[in-house]
Amino acid sequence: MTNPKPSSLLIRVPSAAWVIVLMMTIFTAINPRYLTPDNLVNIVLQNAVLLILALGATLVILSEGIDLSAGSVLTLSGVTCVSVMKHLMESGGSNALAMAAGVAVGLLTGALMGATTGGLIAIGNMPPFIASLGMMGVGSALSLVLANSTAIYISNPLFSFLGEKLDQSIDLPWMQYLSMPTFIAIAVFSVIWVTLYHTPFGRYVIAIGGNESGARLSGVNTVVWKWMVYLVAGVLASISGITLAARLEAADSIVGVGWEFDAIAATILGGTSFAKGKGGTGGTVLGVLVIGVARNGLNVIGVPSLWQPALTGTIIILAIVFETVLSRWKEGRRWVWHD
Amino acid sequence: MGDWILIEGRGITKTFPGVRALDGVDLELRAGETHILLGENGAGKSTLMKILSGAYPPDAGEVFIDGQRVEHFDPRVAQRMGVGIIYQEFNLIPYMNVAQNIFLGRFPTRYGLLDHQKMHADAAALLGSLNMNVDTQALVVDLSPAQQQMVEIAKALSIHSKILIMDEPTSSLSERETEQLFATIHQLNAKGIGIIYISHRLQEIHEVGDRVSVLRDGQLIGRRAIDEVTVDDLVGMMVGRSVKDMFERDYQPRGAECLRVEKLSSGNRLHDVSLTLHAGEIVGLAGLVGSGRTDLARAIYGVDRYDRGEIYLFGEAISGLQAPDMVERGVSLLPEDRKNQGLALILPVAENIVVSSLDRLFPRMVVSRKKEQAVALRYVERLRIATPSTSRLAQYLSGGNQQKVVLAKWMCTHAKVFIFDEPTRGIDVGAKAEIHALMNELVREGAAVLMISSELPEIIGMSDRIYVMRAGRIVAEIPHGDATQERIIEYAMGADEVRKKTGQAAPSRSEP
Repeated sequence: MTNPKPSSLLIRVPSAAWVIVLMMTIFTAINPRYLTPDNLVNIVLQNAVLLILALGATLVILSEGIDLSAGSVLTLSGVTCVSVMKHLMESGGSNALAMAAGVAVGLLTGALMGATTGGLIAIGNMPPFIASLGMMGVGSALSLVLANSTAIYISNPLFSFLGEKLDQSIDLPWMQYLSMPTFIAIAVFSVIWVTLYHTPFGRYVIAIGGNESGARLSGVNTVVWKWMVYLVAGVLASISGITLAARLEAADSIVGVGWEFDAIAATILGGTSFAKGKGGTGGTVLGVLVIGVARNGLNVIGVPSLWQPALTGTIIILAIVFETVLSRWKEGRRWVWHD
Repeated sequence: MGDWILIEGRGITKTFPGVRALDGVDLELRAGETHILLGENGAGKSTLMKILSGAYPPDAGEVFIDGQRVEHFDPRVAQRMGVGIIYQEFNLIPYMNVAQNIFLGRFPTRYGLLDHQKMHADAAALLGSLNMNVDTQALVVDLSPAQQQMVEIAKALSIHSKILIMDEPTSSLSERETEQLFATIHQLNAKGIGIIYISHRLQEIHEVGDRVSVLRDGQLIGRRAIDEVTVDDLVGMMVGRSVKDMFERDYQPRGAECLRVEKLSSGNRLHDVSLTLHAGEIVGLAGLVGSGRTDLARAIYGVDRYDRGEIYLFGEAISGLQAPDMVERGVSLLPEDRKNQGLALILPVAENIVVSSLDRLFPRMVVSRKKEQAVALRYVERLRIATPSTSRLAQYLSGGNQQKVVLAKWMCTHAKVFIFDEPTRGIDVGAKAEIHALMNELVREGAAVLMISSELPEIIGMSDRIYVMRAGRIVAEIPHGDATQERIIEYAMGADEVRKKTGQAAPSRSEP
């Protein structure tokens, strides 16, 4: 006997989707060029990397944690990946071998950083904010040192393929609408979705976020699973870092500054809440799109670039206000546990 | 079933710093029975339950399960041996569905993926066998408290518990839900499952229990078959002790009215509460934990909002005022949790004492250290606060002296109305007497005191009048001359209503 759910369209469709539709309408009204297939494909391509990062943030926030180091892990993984690749290519290694080794090292970097952050939090009992803030500093400093405070350029066609639209390498119709980053993001999304909803690990993440002591009393090994959350988030950050490096054909030593906040904002916009393990991955996709649609639209309608962050920030705040109002209204109609 | 003993505790003793929580307690649970564990707040019920479920190790005594002595008892061992426990605070995950909550920690999987089908089928079978009507797909957050409790029961039974411990299971249930729960309990009993049922609601006992054990001050006072005891026997067993002449009060004619509360209602916590408080009197507020005493204090003090009703302070309606306004008007609250709400533990004694009087002491907004120290020293001497200096951090003081610092803080604001919430809980006997003497002094000087206390001797010994609360209502007002522990406890627990229902005669009252 499920409780009768309110069934109006306004409630069934997530609020972030309304925000996206509203923004797209406004942008199209101002500049009809906004609503072209090319531009829409661009939005998706530009935000694939953020989605991968935001999925990590979603896992962490579902477990009632926070990871401020995501942006710096993204940067560092790109730097280690490209450095190793370049080194191998310069010493005569084949493109394929160099790329495999570089990607492996990049992923390992993310795993190590995540495992360290997670260890501090899960085993060392440190507040996630502090532990990940510290690791954020470590990550950015390492990136600057390894890349000598600049960008390392790489020219490896195999690697670049990871960041391209497919029409650059495959001569078939429609290929200009498909891109590798999008495929990677879809693959990562699928894996995380299955993990969250169809494996014990995913359920433990939600249990820990919902009621950690309750989970422990039910026999869940909260230390191990909490640690694992940050490890997975680290690996996801490194996947986004590697993909971004492939797209830019370079690893920049400050490219990821501030990305952790975009990832967190996207997660919250998507309806995942800091309390009680509420939310999920689907919403995060919408949250990423809110940010992506806003940025792209402001560009297309010609807002001066210095003003764009202010407007993006305002849009995020308004979207959250809208979400809060809508969810209060929803809650008011159904049985609430207790306040 | 019959006489097979599922779990037995022998000579269980547990001491916490300063308190002997349990002293040589024996308890046994037979297959298929519901065994009520009855006692006042602090009698040791919860401690005993935690020992039987492995959460605390006992200092002395042994636990036997199915006749075998249990060594190295901990919650995991307890679970394995079939002890399930349902805490008053549920341990469910709000945004997870019913089936997943039931099997949390033991999810069925196939190829490493959750086997949703099996999980829902097993959960449905389990719930069905208990005639529980809960959708296994529903999120726990959407369930009523009674349904959540069913999920807790199903969760306990899913680990094949033979022994269920329930801590005040009806405290958040409505009357109809309570009946539903009792039906489930009878059904479990019929399957041979033994239930230890902790309660202090006398109304329920005869409906659900087979035997009852009464605890008082950490000791087992008696174990009886339910059919052989009356409500009055149980009240007598629970109260027992007598009030010695340890309280000194100068009773005096009461002065002008300071505080009047009229028909205050707030959610389901307070219902039509009315009371008065006059200068020169101590008014006791008795009742069980959760009866609404603290809610009432917080509503008066302006911390919690209320739905209806009116509060008058010195004859003036003050509804809607907040705590800072109340302090300005001479009202003070000494909270139950003095370490977190009454004091800044990491600040020195002096700063704690003057913190609420800064505007009055330093009208030009510049704090003078010298004056601060001088004012603080005056109160340290007057209240005989045992501290080497006024710059000692509050956290290093004993509980009694901390409470004196809280009191000094309010005396420093020249408060006229003092609301004490459990003023002497956790304080040793000597400091207790001093706090009581200070309260006496306050009212002699014309202040008014509203005192919440779970210690009946304190309530009876200190109060001019006593209000008794039950389930958010004031159910009795007793002048100090007529107050006995039995009388208060009967009102607090609703014995008068039980008697009305069962037709038992009223007890003869005698001063202990």
